[in-house]
Amino acid sequence: MTRRLAAPLLLLLLVWLVAEPMVLVGVDAVRSNGLWTLAAIRAFVVEPNEWRAALNSAGLALASVVLGGLIGVSLALLTRLTDFPGRRVVSALLALPAVLPPLVGVVAFLFLYGESGAIARVVMAITGAETPPWRFDGVGAVVLIHATTMYVYSYLLVRGALATFDPSLIEAATALGGGRWRVLRTIVLPLLRPAIANGALLTALSSLASFSAPYVFGGGFRVLPTQIVSTRLNGDRSIAMVETLALVTLSLITLVLASRIGGVGTRGAGKGIAPAPRRTGTRRSRFVVGLCAWAVTGWLLLPHVALLVVSVVRKGAWNTTALPTAWTIGNYLTLITDPVRWRPFATSLWMAALAAAVAAVVALAVAVAARDPRRAMSRWLEGGLGLPWAVPGTVYAIALATMFSVSQPESGRFVLIGTLWLLPLAYLIRSLPVIGRPVVAAIRGQDPALDEAAASLGAGTWRSFSTVTLPLLAPVLAGAVALAFVTGLGDFMTSIILYTYDTRPVSLEILGAIRQGDLGVAAAYGVVLTVISSGAFLLAERGRSPA
Amino acid sequence: MTRFQICLAFCAVTACVPDHREHLTLYSPHGREQLELMEHVFESENPDIDVRWLDMGSQDIVDRLRFEKPNPVADVWFGGPTTLFDGGVREGLVEPFRPGWWRSVDSSGIGPDEMYWPVYRTPAVIAYNSNLVKADDAPQDWDDVLQPKWRDQILIRDPVASGTMRAIWGMVMSRSVRETGDTTQGVAWLRKLDGQTRSYALNPAILAQKLARGEGTITLWDLPDLLIWREQGYPFAFTYPKSGTPVIEDAIAIVKGTKHRRAAERFVEWVGSVDAQVLTAEKNWRLPARTDLPVDRVPAWVAEVDRKMVTAPMDWAMVAKNGALWMRYWDQRVRGSGKTGVTP
Amino acid sequence: MSSVRLENLAKRFGSTTVVSDVSLDIAQGELVALLGPSGSGKTTLLRLIAGFESVDHGRIMLDGDDVTSRPALARRCGMVFQHYALFPHMSVGANVGYGLDGEHLARPDREARVAEALTAVDLAGLESRAVTALSGGQQQRVALARALAPRPRVLLLDEPLSNLDPSLRGRTRRELRELVRRIGITTVLVTHEQEEAFDLADRIALLHLGKLEQLGTPESLYERPATPFVAGFVGRASQLAGTIMSRDERHALVRAIGVDWHARIVGEGTGAATLVLRPDALRFADRGPVAGTIAHRRFAGASAFFMVTLPDGNEVEVAASSDAAKIGDAVHLEPTGIGAHAWPVSPVPSATPRVPRPLPQAP
Repeated sequence: MTRRLAAPLLLLLLVWLVAEPMVLVGVDAVRSNGLWTLAAIRAFVVEPNEWRAALNSAGLALASVVLGGLIGVSLALLTRLTDFPGRRVVSALLALPAVLPPLVGVVAFLFLYGESGAIARVVMAITGAETPPWRFDGVGAVVLIHATTMYVYSYLLVRGALATFDPSLIEAATALGGGRWRVLRTIVLPLLRPAIANGALLTALSSLASFSAPYVFGGGFRVLPTQIVSTRLNGDRSIAMVETLALVTLSLITLVLASRIGGVGTRGAGKGIAPAPRRTGTRRSRFVVGLCAWAVTGWLLLPHVALLVVSVVRKGAWNTTALPTAWTIGNYLTLITDPVRWRPFATSLWMAALAAAVAAVVALAVAVAARDPRRAMSRWLEGGLGLPWAVPGTVYAIALATMFSVSQPESGRFVLIGTLWLLPLAYLIRSLPVIGRPVVAAIRGQDPALDEAAASLGAGTWRSFSTVTLPLLAPVLAGAVALAFVTGLGDFMTSIILYTYDTRPVSLEILGAIRQGDLGVAAAYGVVLTVISSGAFLLAERGRSPA
Repeated sequence: MTRFQICLAFCAVTACVPDHREHLTLYSPHGREQLELMEHVFESENPDIDVRWLDMGSQDIVDRLRFEKPNPVADVWFGGPTTLFDGGVREGLVEPFRPGWWRSVDSSGIGPDEMYWPVYRTPAVIAYNSNLVKADDAPQDWDDVLQPKWRDQILIRDPVASGTMRAIWGMVMSRSVRETGDTTQGVAWLRKLDGQTRSYALNPAILAQKLARGEGTITLWDLPDLLIWREQGYPFAFTYPKSGTPVIEDAIAIVKGTKHRRAAERFVEWVGSVDAQVLTAEKNWRLPARTDLPVDRVPAWVAEVDRKMVTAPMDWAMVAKNGALWMRYWDQRVRGSGKTGVTP
Repeated sequence: MSSVRLENLAKRFGSTTVVSDVSLDIAQGELVALLGPSGSGKTTLLRLIAGFESVDHGRIMLDGDDVTSRPALARRCGMVFQHYALFPHMSVGANVGYGLDGEHLARPDREARVAEALTAVDLAGLESRAVTALSGGQQQRVALARALAPRPRVLLLDEPLSNLDPSLRGRTRRELRELVRRIGITTVLVTHEQEEAFDLADRIALLHLGKLEQLGTPESLYERPATPFVAGFVGRASQLAGTIMSRDERHALVRAIGVDWHARIVGEGTGAATLVLRPDALRFADRGPVAGTIAHRRFAGASAFFMVTLPDGNEVEVAASSDAAKIGDAVHLEPTGIGAHAWPVSPVPSATPRVPRPLPQAP
């Protein structure tokens, strides 16, 4: 009986936490001063600039997907299927941009590629030019930033898929006379389609929600997130809500498209042993491949390097020169010695950890209940789990703030605003798709006979889950929880709306430092955040292979 | 004892001693340095109060207070142009209070029904990179920045997100209304400025970076920030526009429904006190709103500002009424159109 | 008392009936094979017994207990899965000991039971080995040991040999048979290979389209098939259309391909009939009444099966010594007098009301 009730109860939970806030906030678009009105929608529809912003958003997402996907997929193929000196180091380093901290990441790009940035200065120094060689703004700049940070989604997913790729397929195709490119085009890439589609989905969603990069570097290039912020700042809340709905619609279309294209995940028929990297080619060609891989990796990690450099530069010592003129570790000392400064780390850590842990429990419960993909209930549960992805963080935060600022227990609304709990709750909801989607996929990929075997050996639901299902999910779960944890740790868009004095996270401390002009301190925060995040990933990676 | 050890000792003490002080929460855009200083001084004078501040953008404060209306967390709204406070008054986010120094400030900055009170004045100025522009060449008035020689030399803080820039935009528009009866001339002026603009900056810190690095040589920004940056070693200088400059009244108010009303009152009283006004003027480059400071206590730089600065005649009521409309029009129709001359 | 008793079991998936009105009695210690082509419902039937699927209609009794509505974990059925379903993250010992946890044994007792089960399958001492490091045959035996360790009431085997190399299959089959006999456990085996069923089973339950076609010993299925389907599925057979010339209750003279065959007949009726000929129903004869051409020869050691194409397009299969003919030879055939089975073709078979079959009794 309890098992029958579990799925509807979980659906109710998702409706309450995920759907209801969105509906409440969506109503804002057609309601003003207590009256129903289409004025805001009309204002949106008749304004060509709004359409341009929506089209720009879609185009930017497409460009980011294409370029980021190209970088990510080729790097995954390169580091998995070929061998070159330092391959392991490169493949670990390439995952780093997954933890590029908020706000300061963009600042790093500014210091790097900006017209007065390090690279421009170097070029000027070499060519002896008087004026900067380029102006780093407009669509090109934004696409470049997106591609060089978001490639990591395609990279990680395709790399993961290649880990269980059956090498005999490549061998079979090669035996049938397929050239290297033909095998890649006709065998490898089609089989990687689900991973590529998922990577594209993540890239597209991140690009659609991306605010800082278009805002700082876009110049006159309007996209919906910047439009939403400026409309809100201007006090037009209804129009901002219509713009938000347009953005959510774009995200939902992306989700649907991706699940169409991705199709059913192909499970390797082989024994799940990663293909050994091919030691093909001469020593020289391997050297060339390695050189290229290292160069690309170095290029992609430049923002991290820039961040590190900014964090140890004395204030004002990197304005007009190619390289800084004075160094200091003062920024880190400030961070360590001032309790007010390191408290946000403790706050962010506990909130992100709690949210990831609870989200893992919810996601697992939903995954178990939604295991059978043919049932309508499963699809509903899955959809509910994925919904927070389609909604930008700021919007969700506003939705939660709206939802939990009223006491209406009968509709599940309580006054949580201003309390300790609203921000962790928001992190939790944002974590649901991050943990839920891979866990659902993994649990569906598990051989149901294992559960039956446990049952036939007398194990009840709980024992069979805890001794068989869960340990087998552990690698996927660990990775997903680490990602959710890191996302929460660096979250900015949700936090800025919901934080309180007691839940002031690191990202807000970074913002404060930037507002104060303490870019060095902000960068130091960013570096520490990156280190903690990488640590979380390493820990998850280690949990993956206990041997 | 090193500073580190002192800190450790401080942590140990604060961790062990339970804190029975009354919490007073401030929402303020004034930045860490000023807030830390004020917290420290106020707490030492009021040992029964624990000041907690959240540093955020002035627009963000309004959003937060609006969301938190059912369960107010903040006690004092400290900082922001009076135009924003007017919005707060309309939405019922603040409650009235008359401090003891109510006669000592200019009545134009006082909120309706004494809902908020001015504590600082924030004038806008024309700033330039003093390494790249000679003082004699620097623009002396608003119209000077439209000269061809400054084409592609001007950096502008994104005006949509900035109270200072909204004030400047309001000044341009209300000047147009005053002189010609409508806004056409003002829009044309702003379009020309857009044509002169090299780039719009996300936030003041990036604006300062860009100006220091010479991506542009001129900007329009507020005086306190420029003084702070200059103190930090940035190569900045500024001129007071000859025809007058908008002076933003920066206000303070008690949040409606505060659970610490008495502590909040004490804080507002203190911020407007002569001591606190002088303190923030000396340490944080805040221009006092009080007009009755004893002459011997007025810092030299404040006296100099008052001597050199011309205050522009402003119809703040009209700016408050039309500001959002103007800004939306500018954002949709003017931004990015100055170079091509084509309205997007 | 029978060890496993199925009463009128029925199971539908959506609108398709997968198991329909199956009744079966299995005696203590008996090994019954569920045999049938794919889609015949044999695996579903096994899963109904194990409790992995819920029964739509009917009853399942284990040792006299009605377990129809009991969950799998409370049925005490030991199951070996087709792909073994070994827990990949556990050692051999942990896998085998998994089913013992419910008994709360002291550690030495538990270890003894695991060792005992492993010894039974000839894997003594491999407790700490990772299951992923074992060969296919070893994995199969671990799965068997795991199923047996909790001393289940009944052992369920789902195509247990299908994942093994053919060379290994024969030996494993023998070992399996010996093991099951030695322990004396009631066993239900699902297989689609008649040879496997013949070799292992005391009785075979032949399933077709969810129905139990016939239940009996391998010999009785071969010698006395109840339906043309059974005759065709069990052993080799050629099917022809014929006419009943005369008949008594058990035997008939059926004319087909120009010859009158003495056939065993099942069912009422006269007129048209389905005639099934075993390969031993015909032999080569120089003056035989049936002429044809050898189309195909399947070599099977001392003897061979010859496919003979008749002038009217029919094909019949003949067993003979392997050098009796070559492909393309024109040959003549004659009846041997044995190996012919006939069924009257009922005019509208589906219109006959379905009467529940009387419960077949255990021998």
